[in-house]
Amino acid sequence: MMRRSFRLAAVLAVVMLIVAACAGGDSGTTTTASAPGETTSTSASAAQGDGMFPVVDPLDVAGDIVTAGSSTVFPLSEAMAARFEDEGYGGRITIDSIGSGAGFERFCEQGETDVANASRPIKDSEIESCRSIGREPIEFRVGTDALAVTVSPTNTFAADITFEELAVLFSTAVTWQDVRPDWPANPIQRFIPGTDSGTFDYFVEEVFDEDEAPILNAANLQLSEDDNVLVQGIEGDGCDPDNSATTCAVGFFGFAYYAENSGQLNVLAVEGVEPNAGNVDAGTYPLARPLFIYSTADIMKEKPQVGDFINFYLTYVNEEIIDVGYFPAPPDALEAAQQAWLEAMS
Amino acid sequence: MATEASSVGDVRAASLKKRSRPGEMVIHGSLFIAAAISIVTTIGIVYELGKEALLFFQSKDVTLGEFFSSTTWQPAILDFGIWPLVLATLMVSVIAMLVALPIGLATAIYLSEYASERWRGILKPILEVLAGIPTVVYGYFALTFMTPLLRSILGDGVVEIFNDASAGIVVGILIIPLVSSMAEDALHAVPMSLREAAHALGATKLETSLRVVLPAALSGIVAAFVVAISRAIGETMVVAIAAGAGPKNFTLGQDSLFGHILNPFVAGETMTGHIVRISGGDLSYDSIDYNSIFAIGLTLFLITLSLNMLSRRFVARFREVYE
Repeated sequence: MMRRSFRLAAVLAVVMLIVAACAGGDSGTTTTASAPGETTSTSASAAQGDGMFPVVDPLDVAGDIVTAGSSTVFPLSEAMAARFEDEGYGGRITIDSIGSGAGFERFCEQGETDVANASRPIKDSEIESCRSIGREPIEFRVGTDALAVTVSPTNTFAADITFEELAVLFSTAVTWQDVRPDWPANPIQRFIPGTDSGTFDYFVEEVFDEDEAPILNAANLQLSEDDNVLVQGIEGDGCDPDNSATTCAVGFFGFAYYAENSGQLNVLAVEGVEPNAGNVDAGTYPLARPLFIYSTADIMKEKPQVGDFINFYLTYVNEEIIDVGYFPAPPDALEAAQQAWLEAMS
Repeated sequence: MATEASSVGDVRAASLKKRSRPGEMVIHGSLFIAAAISIVTTIGIVYELGKEALLFFQSKDVTLGEFFSSTTWQPAILDFGIWPLVLATLMVSVIAMLVALPIGLATAIYLSEYASERWRGILKPILEVLAGIPTVVYGYFALTFMTPLLRSILGDGVVEIFNDASAGIVVGILIIPLVSSMAEDALHAVPMSLREAAHALGATKLETSLRVVLPAALSGIVAAFVVAISRAIGETMVVAIAAGAGPKNFTLGQDSLFGHILNPFVAGETMTGHIVRISGGDLSYDSIDYNSIFAIGLTLFLITLSLNMLSRRFVARFREVYE
């Protein structure tokens, strides 16, 4: 009896191995079948005429995609990946939210990722390290973020702020009164993104002229790469303008996190301009910045799924970006990105 | 029968010198390997910690003097003073011990001296359930229950959303089972004759428990405390969630001692919390930030090591041996 059931198990195991091998072979053939189909279709449409952006059918796309970078771009990439999968993409896409700098590091130094997400343009030093491992980064503009400066809803006095006041607020000021004399004397607590994030870099560049020291030397400073921690901290500051013992928090992060928590947070107008679609499109909101994804022509050709995903991203990003909480890129910037894609794939 | 028994005796006598027992040797060997694994692992960890920490101290941006004297920790602008992190760690641990020691010890005394056998059987497993709750759950318990509770008692103006007090209290709750179960074992091991003698001399139950049993079990109880302190110092998840996300930097003489530096109700990142937050952001391997976390780790290790050595001394000195 023992021996018989053992033999049965052995037979079963062999059968399963064969099935698994077949399945593996099957998926292998679909990948290879779809990949040439993809390249022919793209090269065909590219040949049809310059400026014609081919349409990718996610059903034909397989193979994994690895992306990493900005926590600001993360929700957007996540939404695009979800749509890509909903429409039939069969592979697996990884999106790590680790900050723009760390994203470029993994893209340019370790060379582990196919796509780098960034909330700032790539630096010259990063391009150099990319080249040293044989990668020539291509930039694709995917949208615009407005950096939101927020306070808790019980903070009723602050509604707008200037650049000079921001510089004081996020460095030496102890109480809100130090920032503007008619504000109450509640102590300030600061919640800001970690030093590895593009959001931090951008804020330091705009407000402190690239000098990190004043903001990092500020008292009551909480830093986190996790924007939800910042939202939690600001929302729960216990601010009461009538009781100057209570601390009133302030913080900044990508607009999407404000949009997601707009009920729990108040956003400040900067230099008298509210962060909203109209002002960002018109270019009047001063803390608006471009969002990018980066890849290289070699990666996009070697791994057709990466090229297809970027194509899909650039085609549909404007249909998703408002829901995510950001603003569409200017039409000519998006067109330039599509042109860059065509050049990379040709 | 008798002959057989005598022959067994002969074999045993002979085997003491000659016959090898392969089974015995296998068991002996595997037990030795099991013991060796933990020692080798410890040596490996210490080696790795020391190697990376050495890289950190060799950097021209930091000196040993700055590390132990400066009161500002902000790696991004090359400020490496360990004190803000150490102070927060000690504060959380002290608060945790203030919660865990009295409650844990009282629980142990109740379980060992007062509870009926039936109650003990019910209470002990329930207490051990506390030890089984994942620490991440405790972390959110601190943030979403303990902090609001402290705020409703002390006022929003006093207690910040992230603070060392609520993290410390919850770490204390977390280690109550550890204290109570180890202390209870120590109390239980005190021979019954001591209690009987005390009762015979007319001592009440409370007097017996506190003046006879407790001192007799002191070394075991101290051992329990030290294990608990080490656990509190090393606890990571609770402080990462609830204690704060930035080192509480200060300037001696300028910041008020009890309003800021030793104020448990403001945010203050601990050593473990800082390591978690910094390493979460994918640091590059040759950056000084990355090496700095090993220096913090080494400091943490030395603190717990010296605590353990102190406790060994203490236990050796006060151990009471009965029987």
